Parts: sequence; C-alpha cells; structure tokens
Amino acid sequence: MTLAQILALAIFVIMFVMIVLDKIERQYVTLGCGLLTLVLVFGAAMRSMSAIIETLNLRSIFTVGFWYAGAAGEESSSGINWATIIFIAGMMIMVEGMAKAGFFRWLCMRLAKLVHYKPIPLFVAFMIMSSILAMFIDSITVILFLAAVTVELAKLLKFDPIPMILSEIFCANLGGSATMCGDPPNIIIGTSLGYSFSDFLTNTGAMAGISLVIVIIYFFLVYRKELLQEEAEAVDPSTVPDPKDAITNKTEFAVSCVIFGCAVVMLVTHAQTGLTVAFIGGVIAIVTLAAFHKYALELLKKVDYKTLLFFVGLFVVVGGLEQTGILELIAGFIGKVSGGNLKLMIAIIIWISAIASAFVDNIPFAATMIPVIKSLAATQGVDLSTLAWALSMGTDIGGSATPIGASANVVGTSVAAKNGYMIGWGKYCKSAAPATIIVVGVSMLFIFARYC
Amino acid sequence: MAEQIIIAIGREFGSGGHAIGEKIAKDLGIEFVDRKMLDEIAEEKNIQVEYLEKLDEKPRKLLMSRRVGAYSNSLEEIVADMQFDYIREKADKGTSFVIVGRCAETVLRGRKELISIFILGDEECKKNRIKERYNLNEADAAAKMARHDKKRKRYHNRHSDFKWGDSRGYDLCVNSSRLGVEKTAEMLEMYIKERM
Repeated sequence: MTLAQILALAIFVIMFVMIVLDKIERQYVTLGCGLLTLVLVFGAAMRSMSAIIETLNLRSIFTVGFWYAGAAGEESSSGINWATIIFIAGMMIMVEGMAKAGFFRWLCMRLAKLVHYKPIPLFVAFMIMSSILAMFIDSITVILFLAAVTVELAKLLKFDPIPMILSEIFCANLGGSATMCGDPPNIIIGTSLGYSFSDFLTNTGAMAGISLVIVIIYFFLVYRKELLQEEAEAVDPSTVPDPKDAITNKTEFAVSCVIFGCAVVMLVTHAQTGLTVAFIGGVIAIVTLAAFHKYALELLKKVDYKTLLFFVGLFVVVGGLEQTGILELIAGFIGKVSGGNLKLMIAIIIWISAIASAFVDNIPFAATMIPVIKSLAATQGVDLSTLAWALSMGTDIGGSATPIGASANVVGTSVAAKNGYMIGWGKYCKSAAPATIIVVGVSMLFIFARYC
Repeated sequence: MAEQIIIAIGREFGSGGHAIGEKIAKDLGIEFVDRKMLDEIAEEKNIQVEYLEKLDEKPRKLLMSRRVGAYSNSLEEIVADMQFDYIREKADKGTSFVIVGRCAETVLRGRKELISIFILGDEECKKNRIKERYNLNEADAAAKMARHDKKRKRYHNRHSDFKWGDSRGYDLCVNSSRLGVEKTAEMLEMYIKERM
C-alpha cells in the first residue's frame, strides 16, 4: 500500500468512528476529514492538483450536461456529487413549503378519516401511505408527520401507537428504496451511475412493491393480537380534529399540492425530458420560494444545511479512497472471493450492505460502494446495474433492522418516546429485524431470478 | 419566600450532596426536587416510574444511539430531555427549589435566581459513607463509587458545555469531608442567604 492509500484509509476510518461516537456534529467531522484528505492525501502524499480539482468537481456544475442530460447523462462518480446536494436542497425547500401549508398533517388526517379511524384499516393505510410518500419525499419528513399524527390519534382513540409507528418506519425505508429520489443512497447511485427514475422504479421499485405486500402481512401477523383487541374496543372518533383544520392557508395549500405534483411529474419523466435531478431540484426550490415569497427567508433558514455540508465532506473523503485506488482493491477482493460468480457477488453486496447499514449510516457506505461496484463490473465483466440494484436494496432496507440504522428510525422512535411510548432496541428489533431479513432475502431472490 | 431562589447541586457519589441538598431545602423551607420529578413525569407521560428510574441520570449507550438533528433514539437522552423540560417549567413558574444532579446548573444557566454548587469529598470519607449506607465492604464500595461517578461524569459532560466538577462551571465547589454534611449545609445556607 502506498502512503496516500494508508492516509486515505486512515482518514476514512477516523471519519466513520467519529460519526458513530457522535461527540462532534457529523458535518464538522466529514468537512474536517475532507480537508485532511485534500491536504494530506492529494497535497502532501500524491502532490496532485488534478486529483483535488477532480474531487471538488466544481467544473461539472457549469456544464450543460449537469442540468440537461439529453439522452445520456452519466455523471462522473468521482468527488463531490453536486447533483445530489442540489436535488436534496431543492426537495428540502419544497417539503418545508408543503409542511407550512399543512399538507402532511392534512393528508394523514384525511386518510385516517377515510378509513373511519378503525385500527386495522388505519394500520394498513398508514403503512401504504408511508411507502408512497417516501418514494418522493425524504423519509425523515414522512415519519415526522406520520408518527406525530399516529401518536395524536392513539391518544384520542386510546390505542397503542408503537406497532403502527414501527411498521410506518419500516415502510418509509421500503418506499424510499423504490425510487431514485426516495433515499439518499439511491440519489447518489442514480446520479453517479446515470440511472433514471424509471430505471429505479422498474427494478428496485418492483422489489419494493412485492416486499410491501409481504411486509403488510408480516406486521399484521406480528401485531394481530393487539390490533384485533383494539378493533374490538374501538372508541368514538368524534373527538378527532377535522382534516380541514390542518390546512393553514387554502391558497398556499393548493400551491404546495401543485408544486409537489409538478415535482413528481418531472421526476417520473426526467429520462424522457432529459432534465437532470439537479435541474429538477433547482427548479422546485425556485418555484417554491417564489410561491411562498412571504416566507422565503424562513424556508431558506429551515433547510438542513448541516446535512448538505455533511454530504460535501463525505464525498471528498470517499474521493480520497477512490483517487488512491483503495476501492479497486476492495472490488478486487470481492471479485476474488466470488470467483466471478455473479450470484455470489450479488449475495455479498446485498448482505454486507444490509448488515453494515443496520449499524452505520448508509449514506457514507453507499457512496463508498459505488466506485467498488463500478470497478467490479469493469473487471469481472458483470452488469453494473444488477450490482447497483443489489447495493441499493441492501443499503436502503438494511437500515431498517435497528433503531440506529436509518434516520427515519431515529426520528420515529424519538417522536414516540417523547410522547411516553418508549421504544428500546429490544422492542424495535423484535419486529423490524426479521422483516429486514425477509425483504433483503426476497430482493436477493428477485435479483437472482431476473438478472442471473 | 418572597424572591425565587433555585439551588442546583452537582455531587460526587458518596459526598453527601443529596443529604446536603435535602437539609438546605428543609432549612430554607423550599421544595426539594428529587424522585418526585420522576413520579410527575411518569404520570404526565403515562410511563411506569420504574422504567424511568432505570434511565435516570444515565449516559447514552455509545454504540447503540444515534442522533438526527434534534432527535435521538437513546431513551437515556430522551428521559434527560424530559427532566430538563420539567426543570425549566418549574423554574418558569417562579417556584423556589433545591435540585440535585440532572445537569440543572447547565439547564438553568443565565438565570439570576440560580445558585450552582458542586459537592466533592475525600476518597476515604466517601467510601466510608457508601460502606455504611449500602452495607458494603471496602472493595465493593470503591467499585460502586467509581461506577456511579463515571456515569455521572459521562451524563453531565454529554449535556453540558463544561466538565463535571470543573470549578469554573459552578458558583461554589465544596469538599464536604472537611466539615461533614450538617456543617457544610449550614455554611452553604449562609452563602445562599447572602445571595438572596
């Protein structure tokens, strides 16, 4: 190993350990480690200005292809993935606008009313809604609103919200895996490898769809005793607030619905229109800010800049691993272990991704694995997209297994606990870990059957 | 009592900080916030108090917890936040009280009615107190002391921007082994009265 490789690896390991220890806010950790990568790895060890320029990747923003891909829009996977960052920022602004207008609360309450507040239909409806919303909106927002409404309904209708919250969390992660924009690993995979929204929908989306049916049955069976008892003891729902009360301003509500609809249409058709996710993110941010110009500053302040900075630093550190060739070594190792057997390669990628994502942040893991699968596809002559779907399902679903595996899990369990519904590791893993194993297993078999 | 006064006491395990706090509260005729806080939180949130006791003043489990923005999955941290909210609300109501531990000096920092105190003690003195109180031998008492102090330190340092027991974070730091529990409490009362 060269000095640059040792340094890049050491910085990466330090970054991961510091993220897990959570002593310093994670964006400072990745930015600090990113700076160390630029100075020590690229500057001192490699003395390569081109590696720094390539990793910072600023030039890409000023190319037409960054905003309009035309037919083929593959972006370099090296360095900072600005498309991901711009898209996530745009979605954050849109979601803040929707939340301000009362969209999410209205949707949850409307759906609850539609099923007459009956525990079992509510349980199933909220799982489906969680999955569908998470296909387009970040899972943290989905769970933040769903869990809050679930707790509110539970208090009014006197049922235990924990089974519902646990199943909603799982479905938010599952829904996120179905599309390119549902979960950060998918956005990174899609923008880095040039896949479209429909590529994801027809591949990971199909796996997520099948899994959703299985998961609904699974969670129902796990909690059937509680659900049947609650169904029998159903309370008068007249105390539940009217969904209309959630709407803070009718015009803003209508505007936010239109913006969301346009965003969905643009995302679904972006392969045909040639608009990149960076463009879509930029446009929806501008349109939202223009439509909500009265609160534009407030919306901009609510953007989670910490997460965006976390991404910037992370991409630089992973760029360090990539530029020094470390990730090719890992790819070579996986290739050697699998002996060129595609099924074994898929099994290794999907299960290692799932197990790792259950305990560590799946975003750095996915960002690190993209160059690995790229190299693996090139050296072993296997189809890159097959490996990408395995990586996507492994990282997205694996995170569901434990309370710390994905952001939605942390937010959901935290919202529940703050309201007195304590969810510890035991309670969480008892239902979520087997569900994770089932869905990862089903996805692996699906990939075997369809692509091998 | 006309003016509000809040006395936040940090303490080493075995230093008698709890007993000192209790005596100060009794002598000044103000409320002593202790287990009652957990009882009230348990009632409000509809949680079993025994469950909260297990999480009370405990540091998070390092490798089993994660934070996303203002949200944490750590039940220890969530219970700590519930207690901090309780302390803030109580202070906002204008009640005078003595509170032991729970990072109250950090939670209420900046309030003019706050007096923050840290009680420490000599190793031998603390050990003897623990031996007597819990009916333990020398080694077990030492182990219990080390275990509890380690937890308190981790808990405090997680929720505060200054180190546990660092004199710069408190109005007063007192070694209770010099005067004993009673006299230390009386000495502190004199200081408190000067501040009132």
